[in-house]
Amino acid sequence: MKLAQYVVQRFIGYLLVLFIGITITFFLPRLMPGDPINNYISQVQARAGQSLSAEATQQLRDSLAELYGLQGDIFTQYRNYLARVVRLDFGPSFTYYPEPVSNILLDAMPWTAGLLITTTLLSWLIGNSIGLIAGYFNKRRWATVLEVVGIILYPIPYYILALVVILLFAYWIALFPLSPTFLPGPMTWNKAVSIIYNSFLPALTLILAGFGWNVLAMKALAVATKEDAYVQFARLKGTTDRTRMTNYVFRNAMLPQITALVLSLGFIFNGAIQTEVIFSYPGIGMTMRAAAGAGDYNLLYGAIILTIFSVATAALILDLIYPLFDPRIRLGG
Amino acid sequence: MKTILKAQGLNKTYHLGSFPRTIKVRALNDINLTIESDKPVIISLVGESGSGKTTLAKVILRLVQPSSGAVTVAGHTVAGKGTRPSRTEFLRTVQPIFQNPFEAFSQYRTVDAYLLETATRVARLRKDEAVQAVEEALAAVGMQYKDVRGKYPNQFSGGELQRASVARALIPRPQLIVADEPVSMIDASRRMIIINLFLALKQEFQTSFLYITHDLATAYYISDYIAVMNKGRIVEFGDAKQVLSRPQHEYTQLLLDSIPRLDYRWVDRRNAAPGKY
Repeated sequence: MKLAQYVVQRFIGYLLVLFIGITITFFLPRLMPGDPINNYISQVQARAGQSLSAEATQQLRDSLAELYGLQGDIFTQYRNYLARVVRLDFGPSFTYYPEPVSNILLDAMPWTAGLLITTTLLSWLIGNSIGLIAGYFNKRRWATVLEVVGIILYPIPYYILALVVILLFAYWIALFPLSPTFLPGPMTWNKAVSIIYNSFLPALTLILAGFGWNVLAMKALAVATKEDAYVQFARLKGTTDRTRMTNYVFRNAMLPQITALVLSLGFIFNGAIQTEVIFSYPGIGMTMRAAAGAGDYNLLYGAIILTIFSVATAALILDLIYPLFDPRIRLGG
Repeated sequence: MKTILKAQGLNKTYHLGSFPRTIKVRALNDINLTIESDKPVIISLVGESGSGKTTLAKVILRLVQPSSGAVTVAGHTVAGKGTRPSRTEFLRTVQPIFQNPFEAFSQYRTVDAYLLETATRVARLRKDEAVQAVEEALAAVGMQYKDVRGKYPNQFSGGELQRASVARALIPRPQLIVADEPVSMIDASRRMIIINLFLALKQEFQTSFLYITHDLATAYYISDYIAVMNKGRIVEFGDAKQVLSRPQHEYTQLLLDSIPRLDYRWVDRRNAAPGKY
């Protein structure tokens, strides 16, 4: 009963966050000066010279307003906009007209999701394992070496790390391609292998850039946790070092790390713009950059709403899985 | 006569602070203690905060390595430079009860998991035997397995949780249970339940207790022997009734005088006895 109430509360909160986020994305651009239709028509007029009659201009204005959903007063527009968001209909892309925005995003999504989910999970796992060991054995010298790995990697700016990796593995030792080329056609064994091979360098840089922070955070948590009374108590219960490290220290220190993991998974649909641009990787980041450059408002809208949706969903999932990790929420107390 | 607890020339020095301004703290200063008895006993270790009581307990529990000296419990050398007793053998000899049960139990593990793991890991029992041992131990402290099962520490009251941790310590049938301030976190009205439990368990399980406290009233009530510690030394040791009724050392007298009494007016001791402690 208590659990049901908890779930319902979180879900209502989630819908509220989505609604507010979507509303802000609707009103914010409308507060800016200028009118996208006038801009467009003046561009057309500049190209067409005087050959465009007043009626034709008006006709063009109307059809553009209809296409962009800019008819009627602001509240009618808002209502139509909400209805379209619910249907996931963001209209056509301007640059790839008449390809619908949702199709473009759907095409880009698996690339971004595949690359970023894999690398985020891997860097979380590697980083936390190293941090846990370094923290648990913090009195031993070899454990300090592990921590140094995190200290060295963490502050390097991503673009420098990426360039170094490209120089190393695509130029000096030409193991991997400079920019990826993917086989067209349906998914086959060969295609899967080529995807992994071509995604290796972007994945490597993302993992290297991501896990340093995890090492440092987990190390600090583990050092503090292992001094707690229950870890010493567990030792007098006959547990091994390994059990204490995983079931006591990690179990108690992992909650903030899980929060960080799920929230970073929520942000992946922002796309790793830097990664995708540096490696010409065909994901959402590249799409967004192209859309911003070409003034493709619909595509940008779609990408922003996708981000709002995924971050809010990640927060919801986090709230829903938290009771699994923390019995104090599950059982009250 | 069996040796229950024997400490020989035990020293522990803590170095506090960093290099240029290191302060040496002698938490244990040449502790010698021998307790021999055929029957199980309750030994109280009393003294003010910072007198070294807890350090002594930690040395016996191998949580702190002594600077020199050795400790023997029931014939097993448990602590001292270079001693490496086998883990199960050591844990079957000495078991702890911590001061605050809410800190001793992890918030993310059920209490019965602690009991069962002690039964399987320390007492080396099979699954079904383990459940039975847990049931017996819980019955001995007046609790039932079905009331504990699947519950997390925050679902117990302090007294209940402390009783569960007493039950846990009993499972491997240790020779000595080291109880470091076991009742200081418990409601005064519930303390006697735990104290009386120690008396009953001493008989029933033939277990000796090292009861660390600064509460002389309970120490007087349950102990066979009392050791009084001050500034890392044992200043007085002997039969409980004798020590507390005819204290020889002035520090013991001071401790006894510090107990507030109803029929005395409170006198400011700093003015009454200048220069003393």
